[in-house]
Amino acid sequence: MAKKKVRKHAASATPGKAPKSKIPKSKLPARDKKTLGSLKGMADKVVQTANRSRAPQLDIPSRSLSNVKFNRTQKIIEMGSNKNKRELFNLSQAKAYMQTMLVGSGCKELIGEQKTLSLRGMYYRLKHTIEGTKEETFEDQSDCDPIIEDVEVSLNALREELHVYASNRGSMVGNLQLNDSGDDIDCARMGSGGYSIPSIVEPEIVKFVKSNAKFVLHVEKDTVWRRFNEDKFWKKHNCILTHGGGQPPRGVRRLLNRLHHELKLPVYCLLDNDPWGYYIYSVIKQGSINLAYESKRMAIPKARYIGLSSRDYERCGLSPSATIKLSENDIKRAKQIARYPWFEKKKPWQKEIDHMLKNGFKMEVESLISLDISYVTEEYVPARLQDRDFLD
Amino acid sequence: MLSSAKRKRSPRKKSGEQETSDSGAGGAADGVVRARRRRRGTAESMAAKQRDISVSEFFAKNRHLLGFDNPRKALLTTVKEAVDNSLDACEEAQIVPEVWVHIEQTGESRYRVSVQDNGPGIVKRQIPLIFGKLLYGSKFHRLRMSRGQQGIGISAAGMYGKLTTGKPVKIVSKISIRKPAHYYEIEIDTKKNIPEIHNGRGNGVDFPPGEKGHQLMRKKGIAWVSHYDADKEGVDPREVRSGTRVSIEQEGRYQRGRGSVDEYLQQTAIANPHVTLHYLDPEGNETVYSRSTKTLPDEPKEIKPHPYGVEIGHLVTMLKDTDASTLAQFLTSAFSRVSPAVSRRICEGAKLSTRGSIKKIGRDEADALYQSIQKTKISAPSTDCICPIGEDLLLRGLHRVVPGEFYVASTRPPAVYRGNPFQIEVALCYGGTSVVEKVTYEVLAELLSQSDARTLRQFLVNTFDGVGAEASDKILKKAGFGSRQSPGKLKSSDIDKLHHAMQNVNLTDSHAMQVYRYANRVPLQFQQAACAITQAVTKMNWRSYGLSQSRGALPNAPVTIMVHMASVWVPFTSESKEAVAGYPEIEKELRLGLQAVGRKLGMYLRRRQKVKQEGERRSIFLRYLGEVAQAVSSINDADSKDLYEKLLRVAERKTSEADTKLDSRGKKIEETGDFGGNVLIVDQSPEALLEKGGKEQDEGQQALF
Repeated sequence: MAKKKVRKHAASATPGKAPKSKIPKSKLPARDKKTLGSLKGMADKVVQTANRSRAPQLDIPSRSLSNVKFNRTQKIIEMGSNKNKRELFNLSQAKAYMQTMLVGSGCKELIGEQKTLSLRGMYYRLKHTIEGTKEETFEDQSDCDPIIEDVEVSLNALREELHVYASNRGSMVGNLQLNDSGDDIDCARMGSGGYSIPSIVEPEIVKFVKSNAKFVLHVEKDTVWRRFNEDKFWKKHNCILTHGGGQPPRGVRRLLNRLHHELKLPVYCLLDNDPWGYYIYSVIKQGSINLAYESKRMAIPKARYIGLSSRDYERCGLSPSATIKLSENDIKRAKQIARYPWFEKKKPWQKEIDHMLKNGFKMEVESLISLDISYVTEEYVPARLQDRDFLD
Repeated sequence: MLSSAKRKRSPRKKSGEQETSDSGAGGAADGVVRARRRRRGTAESMAAKQRDISVSEFFAKNRHLLGFDNPRKALLTTVKEAVDNSLDACEEAQIVPEVWVHIEQTGESRYRVSVQDNGPGIVKRQIPLIFGKLLYGSKFHRLRMSRGQQGIGISAAGMYGKLTTGKPVKIVSKISIRKPAHYYEIEIDTKKNIPEIHNGRGNGVDFPPGEKGHQLMRKKGIAWVSHYDADKEGVDPREVRSGTRVSIEQEGRYQRGRGSVDEYLQQTAIANPHVTLHYLDPEGNETVYSRSTKTLPDEPKEIKPHPYGVEIGHLVTMLKDTDASTLAQFLTSAFSRVSPAVSRRICEGAKLSTRGSIKKIGRDEADALYQSIQKTKISAPSTDCICPIGEDLLLRGLHRVVPGEFYVASTRPPAVYRGNPFQIEVALCYGGTSVVEKVTYEVLAELLSQSDARTLRQFLVNTFDGVGAEASDKILKKAGFGSRQSPGKLKSSDIDKLHHAMQNVNLTDSHAMQVYRYANRVPLQFQQAACAITQAVTKMNWRSYGLSQSRGALPNAPVTIMVHMASVWVPFTSESKEAVAGYPEIEKELRLGLQAVGRKLGMYLRRRQKVKQEGERRSIFLRYLGEVAQAVSSINDADSKDLYEKLLRVAERKTSEADTKLDSRGKKIEETGDFGGNVLIVDQSPEALLEKGGKEQDEGQQALF
């Protein structure tokens, strides 16, 4: 009880939380009003159950493989209806319940003040020692991130609607002009670094102004992307060049999705020939298991896989030293991927995965550099595009 | 053993004869010539050196067989033999025993051990024989449950004293309040195994009864406790009516800790709740273990041997010694459980006549008889010759000395191994603070100065019971010492640090189980690993009773377990009586006994765990409720205080089980009904300790040091 008072005093003492900086609810954007409404609904439920002296609980849609379905007509991964209960009066869930409520209050504060925070910022905003104990509300950021995702799914609100974003990862360069938060940006004049793709790329923030690109080439990581940028591949082939730094973050995926749907650009992916690369492609194409509820906004079912393919070892005449032996883990993961419903019925993919397993090695895109520094930009990708030799 | 020692010499005699005849032939090959030159003795010269070895001489050279391996152990063995004899004598005479043990330092590594009892005393002519002759006693030839067995112990202690200091054994004995006290100074003639009396021209000295005699003895410097409770105020001291006091001066080393005199007396007090022990240690501290009951254990009956327990050699000797004339007579009179019908069956099996003369039975017939006995079904020996301590007294004894929160005891029904009846008793104590936490700064400093351990770690492991390597590492880490720190050169600030660490380290998990082993109420302190009792404890799966245990080791828990084996003949692995041999029947009984206490411990621990869990549950909920209430109120502006109160009520309802358990405590002893008896639960709350009064606690504390 005493603790409550202490906390309140402390709160009012912080200048950021002073009531005058609060924007009146009526002036908030409509989208934020809706989010606030669902946050309030979550809190009201707690008060109601407490009034009826029942144990409060939350229903959180389950974010696991068992609760995703592959929608064959739309060709995207959708979340099922399984829900996990999170109870306050359950030893193993009590802390998570408390954390969920904390995240809720943190989001409410952000919306009220019309500010955004990074995942890490949110973690620091909510982290404090529980009164009377030595326990922290969150031990580290990895405690906090999944809880934020839980709030997203249970409120059916997107992360940006909660005013939380992840750190930037991924760059873009190419024939595209856009407006980011009021600044005009020409992606053809971004130098060697490119345009850093922000975490939130909703039309309110990033507006496409003009583009005459013909397609989007998404490569796996920064090093390959630099090769392409240095060779001015995007100029020669009139395209947009992106990378996602490995598994692409939501910002990159959402941007690809918008480029594909709004500018009608086909998306081609150049990824490593390993289970990891396969899965990146799968995430871009039909959405991820963890964020299945966002597939509609993220997935690009028409994306195509350019390479590297297992046949490229013979086709390009690579030397054995350019290959990496498959580890136990790789083999396991490859078999797992082959069984995913969205790969299961595709013969070329089954052949591809089989071929890799038979090869017993994986290849990175960089392995093509062993043939010639610009082999990948001047021969490999142009040839694939020319022949329209893709995996679906 | 004796026979084997003699046998060693006899083969030589034969080979000697052989070679002599060889040399007579002469003029053989080179090798033989060389061999002849090398020979230094002839059969004749060797025969001159071949002679009897006296038992005493044998043991003087092989003192380790009797427990006199090193000075430290020698001191303990002397105390032990004397105390055991005293208790045996008192119980046989139906006197409630009171024993005074006094150890004083007389030189650098010399101690005088004096033990006096209030027993029946010894008649004058027997005193020299009992204390000055090895293998002389009343206990060897009969089958009866007693502490001593062979009649070696006390005279061997006297012999050891003479060997190391040259001083004779001094004995005072008095058989009645009206009879004089006899005083003897005796030493053993190791060659002849006969006593040599030093005082009174070989006849000892007598002191008259009453105050006059006491004064005379004091004048001559002969110690004798003449009255009970001499120092106690307000009590009229009663005169000690009879008793025996033996004092032996010997080489020794006094050291506390594991395997010490202090530990032996403490453990003796546990297993003998009817005994009062007064102990005056070399530093002049007196410890008294007062009896918790005045009832003596039932007198054990003497029994005849059971046929199954007799070996062929023994059978032949018995046949030779018997007065019976016919075989049937012999069998029914010399053995227990052999009725005429059984003897007939045995004879039939051996194809011998029941009326056949004993004289006509030779080696072959004896063998046939032996085989037949093994095949004939004979009922087990009567087991009323065994007097267990009993579950109630076990609990009392353990509670008196070992502080804890849960006690359980189990006495198994008697069983039989190789025709010898025996009975297993197990008592267990769980919890309580460890010795490590209770040791005071002064005692610690003293222990450190006494220790000969090379490292502090070794010191901790050797000195304190229940402290294993893991626990000592924890203590050292907490105190900030390296593991190789020497215990000798600690500054007082370092000792303070160590003391502080010892009191503040939580050792519950790294606490090794303590095993107290007893055979006929005598604590066994050495050869722990070789003993069937320890092996049985180690083999048990304690994990199913809620203790943590690594494979092949004693469990790690604050548990003290005492196991008592009572038998007419305890099968020791050696003469020094340190470890019980593992016969399958004994192992089985041990297992069953351990399981019986283990089950109840498991019940208690599970129940405790549940109460604890409920309590923890509630505290976890309470911890988060405030956060939840505040977070909710910051979202929807609800009254956080009101919400907190409401959530608190729900939490209380959800964890009400913990509440009821907490409320029902506060009594000294909880109801024990559903444990099925023989269980003692001591409340650990501070209020309960106050209620109980400091007295009992002090005693427990004192008992350990």
